[in-house]
Amino acid sequence: MKWSYMDHWVTETPQGPQPPSFNRAHMDRYVKQLSALGFTGFDTFFFSLPMYAGMYGSLPGFERFLQDNGFEKITGIFSAYPSATKFQAPHVRETHDRIVADCEYTLRACEGLTGVENFIVMPSSTYFQVEPVTDDKIKVMADLWNRVGQLTLAHGQKTTCHFEFWGAIRTRAQLDLFFEYTDPRYVYFFCDTAQHTIAGVDPVRMFRDYADRCTGFHFKDTHDVDTEGAYRTPPDPELMAPTVSRWFYEMGTEGGLVDFPALMREIVASGYDGWLTVEHDKAELGGGSYAEATCVAKWYIDHVLAEVAR
Amino acid sequence: MKWAYALNQWNFRMDVFVRHEDHARAFKTIAACGFDHVELAAGTGRWDNLGRPEQIALNYGDDFRPMLNRCGIRGVSSFFWDPGQFAEEEGWAFRSTRNPADHDAIVESARPFVDFLAAVGGSQLVARPVGPAWMGPPVSADDLKVIGEVWNRVGEVAAASGVGVSLHYDCLGAVHSRAELEGLLAATDVGLALDTAELTVGGIDPVDFYRSHAGRVTHVQLKDTRFADAGEEYRMPGAESTMLKGGAGRRIERWFYELGTEGGLVDVKAFVGALRDHGYDGWVVVESDQGGNPAELVMLNRWYLNHELRGLL
Repeated sequence: MKWSYMDHWVTETPQGPQPPSFNRAHMDRYVKQLSALGFTGFDTFFFSLPMYAGMYGSLPGFERFLQDNGFEKITGIFSAYPSATKFQAPHVRETHDRIVADCEYTLRACEGLTGVENFIVMPSSTYFQVEPVTDDKIKVMADLWNRVGQLTLAHGQKTTCHFEFWGAIRTRAQLDLFFEYTDPRYVYFFCDTAQHTIAGVDPVRMFRDYADRCTGFHFKDTHDVDTEGAYRTPPDPELMAPTVSRWFYEMGTEGGLVDFPALMREIVASGYDGWLTVEHDKAELGGGSYAEATCVAKWYIDHVLAEVAR
Repeated sequence: MKWAYALNQWNFRMDVFVRHEDHARAFKTIAACGFDHVELAAGTGRWDNLGRPEQIALNYGDDFRPMLNRCGIRGVSSFFWDPGQFAEEEGWAFRSTRNPADHDAIVESARPFVDFLAAVGGSQLVARPVGPAWMGPPVSADDLKVIGEVWNRVGEVAAASGVGVSLHYDCLGAVHSRAELEGLLAATDVGLALDTAELTVGGIDPVDFYRSHAGRVTHVQLKDTRFADAGEEYRMPGAESTMLKGGAGRRIERWFYELGTEGGLVDVKAFVGALRDHGYDGWVVVESDQGGNPAELVMLNRWYLNHELRGLL
């Protein structure tokens, strides 16, 4: 199994807790910490690419620093429009040309890298901005990602869809319809274990049913299923839900709802040979630490999931 | 003079200061330290939900001012806004006041902030007049004329709503030297937001500058610094990080400090004395951005006002 790390981190600085992109020295320390745990893939955000290019001379220069620290390569780029605007909204066809152009810009930024595999997208914006979510709107969104999928394949990357619990495509029926409308040659599935669980969708079953289109995972846990409609909270359900202040947890915490061993059994049985990605999103909430969360998750990989995979 | 506190320090990272209880705790902290007005700062998106009028409306509806009042804050003094800052609400447009082709869009993009300030009783749109020096050639006299023109237009729009415009000098801006800043003031009719630490980092004595241009100063941001630009550091590529976050050069990771900090370069007492001497009646916004713990800093700033400036206030 190949494990990569999704680029969320917070480090202490004289200006308070900041992302490691605060400066090159903090970035170096972050990469070294991930290296110490044996991660060999690195997923990041499209908006981080210019910062890393600036710090390391170029994006390939940053990747070389990763490789000097035991990484194989940058494995995935995450691109998203969480908030719909008049300029960019996946459910509004008139904005698609702009979104496609944005994607092309990001793809060009990746030229010279060893080989990014996944172009990870949020297929929709926030549910409250899209509702009522209709079949027609899902078709419009599917059409967009079919276009983007053809584009990214031409650059060697697969467009793979990462669904948020607060996005407009969130229920199993909506997910099935979206995948029915998208072309399996161009649009793939990215399984975020916590997001599906919060939305009331079983990620293990989801992977089982879409294994042939799955190109990646975010292994993270949650303690809550959204049973109170928090996904519709404006302007942001992820951090502002009235009754849940922290949705995401690292693997191996008390109260975690995701059945990771079952998922790992499905992954092994399917013959999946892509990257498995650890993601810690908002790990600092409630006094947590990204460094400690990542160690605990790696312990879980080595001591629980490795046994399942054996 | 009227005192307010800047909210920007609480919003120190993209994914913090989002929940209502976080906002309330900040406002209560500010109120507990004896400030009853706040300065907001522009941002973008769902997590910067006090950073744009439309986000505030989504966030609080009609309850924004009542919420402030419940926390002990009587109102909003001002809104800091940089038209060059990327915002998803503006389609991530790259705009520069140096480019006349961007002027119409800049004027339009100011309107939501002006309207918001007028609606909540705020009096100053505090604006970054020009982008960073490292992103372009040095400003020429013609550039200053072009920059002045767009701010005059924004000033007219704001004045029609009873809001003032104050241009905020910052130590990374393309308008950097004293001569350039004076050239900008000569090119526009709007006011100046004098930030004591930013001027000091940029090599301009804020006390002397204020005494020379008191009639143009319509807004003040009060904070200290322990460092001044050694010469051309502000021209380093990516100076927002390479200089102000210590990514290169002297590796100084924090430049701005609370009033009364050990080794502070700003003569705060002389500056506030100069404000008093000239009968300044605008806002003095105490600021502690790019610092450490927000609550600690607002308490230290209040202590300084109470104990070191008592005779001047």
